[in-house]
Amino acid sequence: MSIQPSSHDTRYAIRLLLPWLVGTFVLVFVPMAASTLLSFVRWDGIELSDANWIATDHYELLLGIDDKQPANDNHPQVAVPHRSITEYTLARKALWNSLVFAINAAPLNVAFALFLAVILDTPLRFIGVYRALVYLPHVLGGVATILIWSWVFNPTFGPVNTLLRFLYDLLDPMVGMLTGQGTSQWLVPGWLSSETWCKPAVIVIHAWTAGGSVFVFLASLQGVSPETRSASLLDGASTWKRFIFVTLPQLTPAILFNLVTGFAAAMQSFNYSYLLYNRDQNDGLLFAVLYIYRCAFEPPYRIGYASAVACTLFVILFSITGCLIASGRKWVHYET
Amino acid sequence: MNRASIILVVLVLALPLVFAALLAVGPIEDVYAFPARILPSNVEWTNFSDAMKRLPFIRFMLNSVVVACCAATGAVLTSAMAGYAFARLNWRRKKFCTLLLIAALVVPAQLLLIPQFLLFTNLGWVNTYKPLIVPAWLGGGAFNVYLFWQFFRTISRNYDDAAKLDGASHWTILTRILMPMSKPAVATVALLSFVYHWQDFQKPLIYLSDFQTYTMALGLRMYQVTGGGWMNLVMAASLIALIPVLVAFLILQKHIGAPKIFNHDVPKC
Repeated sequence: MSIQPSSHDTRYAIRLLLPWLVGTFVLVFVPMAASTLLSFVRWDGIELSDANWIATDHYELLLGIDDKQPANDNHPQVAVPHRSITEYTLARKALWNSLVFAINAAPLNVAFALFLAVILDTPLRFIGVYRALVYLPHVLGGVATILIWSWVFNPTFGPVNTLLRFLYDLLDPMVGMLTGQGTSQWLVPGWLSSETWCKPAVIVIHAWTAGGSVFVFLASLQGVSPETRSASLLDGASTWKRFIFVTLPQLTPAILFNLVTGFAAAMQSFNYSYLLYNRDQNDGLLFAVLYIYRCAFEPPYRIGYASAVACTLFVILFSITGCLIASGRKWVHYET
Repeated sequence: MNRASIILVVLVLALPLVFAALLAVGPIEDVYAFPARILPSNVEWTNFSDAMKRLPFIRFMLNSVVVACCAATGAVLTSAMAGYAFARLNWRRKKFCTLLLIAALVVPAQLLLIPQFLLFTNLGWVNTYKPLIVPAWLGGGAFNVYLFWQFFRTISRNYDDAAKLDGASHWTILTRILMPMSKPAVATVALLSFVYHWQDFQKPLIYLSDFQTYTMALGLRMYQVTGGGWMNLVMAASLIALIPVLVAFLILQKHIGAPKIFNHDVPKC
């Protein structure tokens, strides 16, 4: 039953909604439109009269359709230090890095969170304490913990490689017997300073903060209907079969939710890249948001170009999110 | 699943913090010992006080506390107000506003960064805390509004009606009846926005340029930049910087979804 809107309610609602409405328009919708417009403009963000309408030139350069510099370019191309790589190749690389990170990190986080939720979904004593402890890394994740992790992955002195060297030593006699050559020649990964291993390392750091999604799963585990559970028990289903065929289908809405929000968050991650990327070593950790930040907030301030990269990032983000949600029709099981 | 596997998982998750703690109490030689040693050769508690003296640590901490508390207060207040309007009032264009709320929920924050920066620069807000705090006072994010809306819906309207008979205004109903009854929602929004503003690194990086105004996240970055040679002190500073978040979490966690999430009973079978 819906009640007709009353003028008293309307007047009062506007007063209560005012802060939120102002925020939504001034800080969300107007900036969104502005970002799109700015991407068609060459501008350093200082004097509005300096802005040049260049239509889709930024996008053409980004996509590599047109490699010429736009006419009367008042911003010199930024030289990439120590490396013979053009600016637009670097932009594509940054977008690619963010995409690779998000595509790997988001599903991994969901799987890890699901595992944690399943083992935490038991009526033990002190279970609340364990749940709080698992949630804690999610709350603590920030500059402080990234600094700690950068130490954990230190190639020479860090605990991860110390453990690896120890394992190599253990395996040495066995491998020596099988292949005739011991493990003394095996190398330990350079982790954050290596092009190949930097992404796995950051994905592990990101997985450590999966606690946030655990709570969505715990909440929906409570929604798993006891009837289906008892029915499957009567049918003699094993624990594993019960999880795959009874529990998991009922968790699919939560999986989709965590996947979509986790993917968006990973695509927009900035801190890992800012704190761990070392431009003298390799570009594996140059994420798109760091690239956008550098273009927009470091001289020569290229507001328009940065906006174009940002818009490209979000076209990618929205299309993948759209595909995920569309695919959900096939695999997400909604209560009927 | 049994207790042992849960404890094992918790221990593995705690490992990085344990490594950091062991490094933080040891002398600098231990950091670059090869092969690496697990336990510190000598416990030096003065590392913590040294770390706080190298850079204006207390100042960074206070700055962060001010920013995070102001922002969290604003987020709780303004999103509860909007949530109340959505849950309890019937106004013209409510459908349109609902659509706005859902649209704002999916707009990626990074897309708004540059225009917001231009706006705040033109307002002369650079190098103040206004760009960090004011957005929280303007609705505190679509997600928080949505959370309050959904939570208020679960509270019976009979309470409102009883209060109305006693002559209470909407404002009184919101602040005296619904908010006290919505402790889980208040605690969730307060914790999420406190933690968000405490951890936030990008916005302070863009808006704050004066060293004295740095928040903790930026301050820790200074430790990383200037402190490559004293890794043990960097770790000590990082650990101390986690304490306020830990305190906020411990205070608020017992309210967060307390009845449903933390202590539910699973039927035994």
